[in-house]
Amino acid sequence: MKPTTDLILRLEKVTKTYRTKGGRFGQAGSRVVALNRISLDVRRGEIFGLVGESGSGKTTAGRLVVRLEEADAGEIFVAGTRVPELKGRRLKQFRRKVQMVFQDPYQSLNPQRSIFDTVSEPLVIHRMGNGAQRREAVAQALKSVGLSPPEDFFLRYPHQLSGGQRQRVAMARAMVLGPEFVVADEPTSMLDASISAQIFNILLHMRDKLGVTLLFITHSLAAARYLCDRIAVIYRGNLMEVGEAGEVIERPRHPYTQALLDALPRFGQCGAVRRYNTLLGAERPASQGVGCAFYSRCGVAQRLLCSTQAPSLRELAPGHRVACHYAEGPEAGTATTEACFYAT
Amino acid sequence: MALLEVDNLSIGYQTRNGTFQAVDGVSFSLESGRSLGFVGESGCGKTTLGLALMGLLPPNGRIRQGSIRFEGEELVGLPEDRMRTIRWRKIAMVFQAAMNALNPVHRVADQVAEAIFTHEPALSREEVNTRVEGLFQLVGVPKDRMRDYPHQYSGGMKQRAVIAMALACRPRLIIADEPTTALDVIVQDQILEETKNLQQQFGISIIFISHDISIVADVCHDIGIMYAGQIVEYGAREEVFETPVHPYTRALLASYPTLNGTISRLKPIPGETPNLISPPPGCRFCDRCPGAGKTCVTARPSWVEISPRHKALCHSCS
Amino acid sequence: MERDGHKNKTRSPQLERFLEGWSIFVQNPLGKIGLTLLVCFGLMAACSFIPPLLDPMYDPMTGVDPLITRSVGPSSAHWLGTDFMGRDILSQLLAGARVAFMVGVSAAVMSILLGCAIGMFAGYMGRVVDTLLMRTADMIMVMPTLLVVLILSSLFGQLNIWTIVLIIALFRWPGVSRVIRAQTLSLKQRPFIEAAKVAGASHMRIIFMHIMPNVLPLAFLYMTFRVTSAIIIEAALAFLGFGDPGTVSWGMMLQWVWKTGHMFRAPYWLLPPGLCISLITLSFYMLGRAMDEVLDPRLRKEAEAE
Ligand SMILES: Nc1ncnc2c1ncn2[C@@H]1O[C@H](COP(=O)(O)OP(=O)(O)OP(=O)(O)O)[C@@H](O)[C@H]1O
Ligand SMILES: Nc1ncnc2c1ncn2[C@@H]1O[C@H](COP(=O)(O)OP(=O)(O)OP(=O)(O)O)[C@@H](O)[C@H]1O
Ligand code: SF4
Ligand SMILES: [Mg+2]
Ligand SMILES: [Mg+2]
Repeated sequence: MKPTTDLILRLEKVTKTYRTKGGRFGQAGSRVVALNRISLDVRRGEIFGLVGESGSGKTTAGRLVVRLEEADAGEIFVAGTRVPELKGRRLKQFRRKVQMVFQDPYQSLNPQRSIFDTVSEPLVIHRMGNGAQRREAVAQALKSVGLSPPEDFFLRYPHQLSGGQRQRVAMARAMVLGPEFVVADEPTSMLDASISAQIFNILLHMRDKLGVTLLFITHSLAAARYLCDRIAVIYRGNLMEVGEAGEVIERPRHPYTQALLDALPRFGQCGAVRRYNTLLGAERPASQGVGCAFYSRCGVAQRLLCSTQAPSLRELAPGHRVACHYAEGPEAGTATTEACFYAT
Repeated sequence: MALLEVDNLSIGYQTRNGTFQAVDGVSFSLESGRSLGFVGESGCGKTTLGLALMGLLPPNGRIRQGSIRFEGEELVGLPEDRMRTIRWRKIAMVFQAAMNALNPVHRVADQVAEAIFTHEPALSREEVNTRVEGLFQLVGVPKDRMRDYPHQYSGGMKQRAVIAMALACRPRLIIADEPTTALDVIVQDQILEETKNLQQQFGISIIFISHDISIVADVCHDIGIMYAGQIVEYGAREEVFETPVHPYTRALLASYPTLNGTISRLKPIPGETPNLISPPPGCRFCDRCPGAGKTCVTARPSWVEISPRHKALCHSCS
Repeated sequence: MERDGHKNKTRSPQLERFLEGWSIFVQNPLGKIGLTLLVCFGLMAACSFIPPLLDPMYDPMTGVDPLITRSVGPSSAHWLGTDFMGRDILSQLLAGARVAFMVGVSAAVMSILLGCAIGMFAGYMGRVVDTLLMRTADMIMVMPTLLVVLILSSLFGQLNIWTIVLIIALFRWPGVSRVIRAQTLSLKQRPFIEAAKVAGASHMRIIFMHIMPNVLPLAFLYMTFRVTSAIIIEAALAFLGFGDPGTVSWGMMLQWVWKTGHMFRAPYWLLPPGLCISLITLSFYMLGRAMDEVLDPRLRKEAEAE
């Protein structure tokens, strides 16, 4: 399905701050800004990738969207309704349409419940269908994630499944209600590279055949490039760059995105590879609260501007927006030709 | 003579349902100053192999056959007190998820010093301290952070400290088991650079274990692709990745997303790994292999030499 | 790890854990001794119905041997002898086993149910509810149960055995609820609970369908320890003269020994109930320790996984 411009998710200047408890020895608690005034749009029918390092606030964003957490400030709309206001029946309806797949398949399935119980639970909660219809729906969901024959899995328990199978069960649980929007929080980060491909292809199937919109959270740019229509790169809770997946990865404009690409192992790349060298060798003191979040590690930064003024998102190419004072044109970086011995 | 020679090594775990053949007929050799990478999916026996080289198999694990020769000395069946003179001093290991195993109540530098004291009690305080300082400098932890507690470290710094600990007794061989799996790409890149530098600078041999091909491809001279307890393809990195011959290696490469070229549909490997308590009699990959023939199901494949630096364990590779 | 699960595809984890736990349990010497002792006491309780059927004079409470009016030692008619008014000590001892089980198990079950419910509720709800419940628990925990029961019974006269059971239960839940609360707190953070929330599950559904099955094993472990303390409290009450005068319990027997001045003159009367109290509490205690060992590695494993 071609992504339309119909929006399904809209974040407007969303901020989330966590207060950590003080330490054992009476240290004062500290505040962690998990998300800092993030604004994003996700279009119906696309896979939108949220990319960032550990602790950058990706999971927090996902949890806000499915309302496991409340934002401190800003607005979140899903399919036109304001998420924080939902209560009672409306909230339950929202739960039918919006689902989440969690990062760790070893933790996201109740060890005491069989696969059938787990996958059919949403149906039971929303009082959908009778026994036979539920069986049919569960079998269908398991089949759609490639667990077949589904009946074989009904009476099994999570500890009898491999990690990849568990994650597929978790996806079946998210799919069984026929949701419109699914948040997939690093569904493969606990799995082997070789098993990840299965999960990726199921996500593609969900978009193409079932018309589900996905917010795909990942730390891997390669996975984002493979799966996503558009991606957003965040760094310590700040949106750095957003645009078409191919555009962002092949012509990254933000020094941080460029640093991420530099750091990837060169495996599978041959011919002209761009090197950007935008990461500072030694970190400099951060700009306290003001200025660019990436200032302390940015090799491009100019002290005067970057440490005193937070860059705002600028549209540098159609649909490609970057939050950097010194973002350059598409020809950034130096092309190097590397030996091409890993062609696959 | 090679630094390490492993020949036909098989390791089994005693379980309630029978012997689990975690490693089966593994052979390889490693010259000093070179690095060897093992790639394979979870459960294929990579950690087991590393533990066996260290003589640290869990109580229900047993070397069923084969030999491990390190500097010409046979390690299989070596008495524990002799093994203790080799372990950590000559062969060291960075354990999987070791960075989470740092003792939270001791300062990191003290933990490294402790590791040195345990193995070289003859050293004086000052000697140990200068060595610890050197180690931290080597792995790139700033001097003023040495005396912090583990929780004050980031993941990358903890991993560096663990590497420092493995280097503490100046071993000749380091086994690094998934040293960067929990780390971010930028930190991972730095640690991999560090590893390569160390190796070139001191001529340490490295066995690098990972389930991520791209990492192993980045660091290692030689690659062993492991599947279900066996090495199925072995050779110089260039050859293995340029002309992969084993169907599993090919399948593995086809399921790996990369950053350039056109985006083609990834092809996941169908099916599940075999049960290693009663492994299939023929090739262990046969029921997932697209090109499996009759012989694959019934007869064990033997090694086929593709080039002097490249071989594969497959019936249809010749 | 999960790969060797292929053979027993349809076994539920409960059953599998039970079987695995059972094999560890019976290998444990403490568990074996405890279980054997407990089976003996169970047999005693079951046999307590027999003597009154043979002859009304063997009724532990009302049956008096017409030929005997004082305490005599063992004989062929009374294997363990009689008490001061000619009642059979053996039948009293057997009836005491029944009462001990009744008191111990029912007080334990009640306190566990209460403790579990409160612990899960406090842990799951958090904030004010948690603080209130746990402060209450603390207050009750520091009250000496025995003393409170003594005061109550001196206020209300003699207490019925069920009232005693109820009071013991009411005073013994806080320990359990603390443990269950801690377990609930860690479970609450687990993604499978959040997954249920995202699916739209209500709080009650989460507590009863997802949290409860995961805390039950721990609750059972605590039950064995609670049985021990309930039996001891009941015995102490009875010995101090605050027991239910309508039932024969071992504590009651000891009180009769003491009150009639036979303490140092009738070892055949003093020793059996004394030994029984020690042994039954010991057996439940050993059972608990053995179960602890069965559960502990699993708890530790789960803790590591987090
Ligand atoms: N419940 C919480 N209490 C306090 N701090 C929290 C909490 N949850 C998250 N944080 C903090 O908020 C920041 C963002 O966390 P988040 O989990 O969203 O990151 P992430 O991008 O998902 O990282 P990862 O890749 O490791 O999953 C982190 O610094 C984290 O420590
Ligand atoms: N102590 C043990 N007893 C029984 N089986 C074991 C034991 N340790 C490991 N195994 C099994 O042996 C196989 C190989 O385990 P190993 O830890 O070597 O795998 P690995 O390749 O390191 O996997 P990973 O990538 O997950 O670390 C696994 O299937 C595992 O279940
Ligand atoms: S705004 Fe300045 S500090 Fe921030 S990324 Fe751009 S150049 Fe670097
Ligand atoms: Mg996360
Ligand atoms: Mg391992």
